[in-house]
Amino acid sequence: MKGIKGGRLGEYLLTILIVVTLNFMLPRAMPGDPFLFLSGEEAGDIVVSYSEEQRQLYLEFYGLNKPVLSQYFAYLSELCRGNLGFSLYYNAPVSSIILNRLGWTVFLVLAAVFFSTLIGAALGSISAWHREKWVDKTLYALMITISEIPAFLLGLILLFGLAAGLKLFPLSGAITHFADYQHLWSKILDILHHSILPITALTIARLGGMYLLSRNSMTTVLAKDYIRTAQAKGLLKKRIIYRHALKNALLPIVTRVFLSIGGLVGGAILVENVFAYPGLGLLMRQSVMYHDYPLIQGIFLVVTILVLLANFTSDLVYKKLDPRVGQLEVAQK
Amino acid sequence: MPKKRSVKIISLLVLLTFFSCLFYGCSKDNDNTAKASKPESKKTADVIRLAGGNYGYLSPYAHYPRGPGSFKMRLIFDSLLEKDEKGYIPWLAEKYESKENGKQYLFTIRDNVKWHDGKPLTAEDVKFSFKYACKHPMVSSSISQNDIEKVEIVGDRQVLVTVKKPSAVMLGNLGTTRIIPKHIWENVDNPKEFLDEEAVIGCGPYILTDYSKEHGTYRFEAFKDYWGPKQRVKVIEFIPVSEAILAFEQGEIDMTSVTPDVLPRFENDPQYKIVESPAFWGYRMIFNMGETPVFRQKEFRQAICYALDKDDLIEKVQRGAGVPGSAGVLPPGHIMYNPNVKQYDHSIEKAVELLEKLGYDKLKNGVRVNSKGEKLSFNLLVGGEVRLAEVIKEHLGKAGIEINVQSVDGKTRDARVNENKYQLAITGHGGWGNDADYLRERFSDDTTSSGSISPNMARFKGYSKPELSQLLEKQFETIDENERKKQIFEAQELLAEDVPEIALFYTISYYVYKPEKYDGWMFMFDHHSLEHSKLSYLERD
Repeated sequence: MKGIKGGRLGEYLLTILIVVTLNFMLPRAMPGDPFLFLSGEEAGDIVVSYSEEQRQLYLEFYGLNKPVLSQYFAYLSELCRGNLGFSLYYNAPVSSIILNRLGWTVFLVLAAVFFSTLIGAALGSISAWHREKWVDKTLYALMITISEIPAFLLGLILLFGLAAGLKLFPLSGAITHFADYQHLWSKILDILHHSILPITALTIARLGGMYLLSRNSMTTVLAKDYIRTAQAKGLLKKRIIYRHALKNALLPIVTRVFLSIGGLVGGAILVENVFAYPGLGLLMRQSVMYHDYPLIQGIFLVVTILVLLANFTSDLVYKKLDPRVGQLEVAQK
Repeated sequence: MPKKRSVKIISLLVLLTFFSCLFYGCSKDNDNTAKASKPESKKTADVIRLAGGNYGYLSPYAHYPRGPGSFKMRLIFDSLLEKDEKGYIPWLAEKYESKENGKQYLFTIRDNVKWHDGKPLTAEDVKFSFKYACKHPMVSSSISQNDIEKVEIVGDRQVLVTVKKPSAVMLGNLGTTRIIPKHIWENVDNPKEFLDEEAVIGCGPYILTDYSKEHGTYRFEAFKDYWGPKQRVKVIEFIPVSEAILAFEQGEIDMTSVTPDVLPRFENDPQYKIVESPAFWGYRMIFNMGETPVFRQKEFRQAICYALDKDDLIEKVQRGAGVPGSAGVLPPGHIMYNPNVKQYDHSIEKAVELLEKLGYDKLKNGVRVNSKGEKLSFNLLVGGEVRLAEVIKEHLGKAGIEINVQSVDGKTRDARVNENKYQLAITGHGGWGNDADYLRERFSDDTTSSGSISPNMARFKGYSKPELSQLLEKQFETIDENERKKQIFEAQELLAEDVPEIALFYTISYYVYKPEKYDGWMFMFDHHSLEHSKLSYLERD
């Protein structure tokens, strides 16, 4: 058992090492460097750029003129000590910049996972139970349609419809700025109010996949013998679905939930841009644009760790839900 | 049974909706209302809100090099001179004069100026600021150790700066250097990392009262003991917006720039006022003359000028919101623009005539070739401006010049241009309204650039014209404004004849605001943005 755990850990470490290496190499493979600006982005953009001497000075100061390999090892050794580096553009430690933003993105993603799973599983079960009837057909068509709309487009639709049109929600941001809150409670409500649209956009975007999966899974389970037995026993429908079927149908859904976290982070980044939500999304876009190597590396590393963590948790949960998995591993040993 | 279930779901949805309405209720009371005050005095505003974003902490050392961070910083930090619509005006220095043919500048510092912490500003602070800025260049300052010989205090309120070499831009460079309090900065060795609250103590009209890096918000309050004109805006807030025009229409922000296609929404509505910005952001087409011999021929470059239909470019790429590029480079809104330089009105015939003169008199599949079989076919490198490149391709194609558009991302384009790996390229940037000395940075041979530069000053290797270089170097040392203007006019004539690069067009942006709420907006003489001007927020005579 111990050996297996060790092997898993090794796999994760290897994955992290590979990702770290890629994160390090890819930004540096882009042409240009952080100190070269020959153009402004758009009308109105103001740029201060550097003379050639200054550029060389900065490259030297940040060690960017050293051979890539020695930069790489320096980065690794700093990383082992928990130092993510210093952002070239934001002029601040990468870890503090990311920590400031991470909470918002995690909040959006977890909320969206929660709601999309809950609603998706519920609708999927309903569909499976009423398979081929009008409820199923309508739901199916609806879900297929909305699952094809990308999250940021949904975000825009929500923004124009509910925020700008009906004025039900704020247009942007995560919080009312410069507000004087009476209680902590009113601050929390304010944050929730701001988060509803981004979360809704992400939830709807994920809903289709969750629905299809749970519908499928549920259909398979409902065809099993023990369900027929339960029906024959005259058990209530509610009881059959929730006690007997759902628990077994949940397995693939759980895996999917955790696997989808990675994809959701990607979706969240676009949605954040739509709502000017202060998560990692905007930060990532800017860091790539400015070739801020340490920040790019930091963000991608954090996202990677989040995804791996989700995978790891899914392993654990899966074992809990399906005792056979744990037994299988023991047997193999 | 199924009916019962759907009832449950519906009730769940109703519950959700109910909750969202609940949340809606709680942010409603944060409505921002700036009341217009009595009509007899000039309109003042309690709070003006503008689109924000994170541009760094607002010390002269910590704001980011890109974006409007430097202008926000200037609300906190004053300098010896300020810019109005026409040029420099006395500011912290109530008087200034240049002596010894531009070798010395004497600034008389205003009395009764206070720092935000209540301490008085003295000539000592000014001297310290210059020395400190030389040692540690500020993000957007243009003075360096190579410029200044010594700084002395004369009497109790005068500062005498002796420069190493007289230069036409020195007054502006000295005059716009931010003055920082000695009692705070004298013990700071690494100004970039000095991010305390004290780092934003200045003597400007506004105090920074709130800054959130993660949200990208800034809040400024008027400084009560400000020495200068009264602030017409009491509080300025920068907040993040998702869609600026939407936010403006909803009253979340009080001014925004709009693109020409949404202009009609505001045009015939008396509650809005639209202003057109000076066209100081432009595109230029550059030739890599080192690599491609034919680019060294003046006639060839002129032929391209004739072949390009700049009005058509503006129409197709900018939807009309632009000013055609002047052959003399400086845009028409520039204070030293020469309106009489040679311009190349679109004419395919003239282009063809010039190309034939160069020997490219045969057409092969629509592309001109000379007797040696050399084709007029070139790569045009752009950083995403594909639309612009395609229209250029179409224009030049009519004259028999074939263009292959290579579109890469902006940074890649910059890197390739910097390494001379291109034939033709287009770059776009701001700063065309800056001091005309950028012509020297761009086109003179023996430019020794110092301090930080802007893309506007970037020069591309391979072009040399001694006559022009001499003239541009001479204007740099000319202190007499009228004399210098003549030289800049002449330089524009030379440029227009030689066209070492082509200014394609300068873009116009439109700003819209509600005069009912606040109407103090103004443009500085060299800049395109209303909200960046300090005087936009202050009382004026």
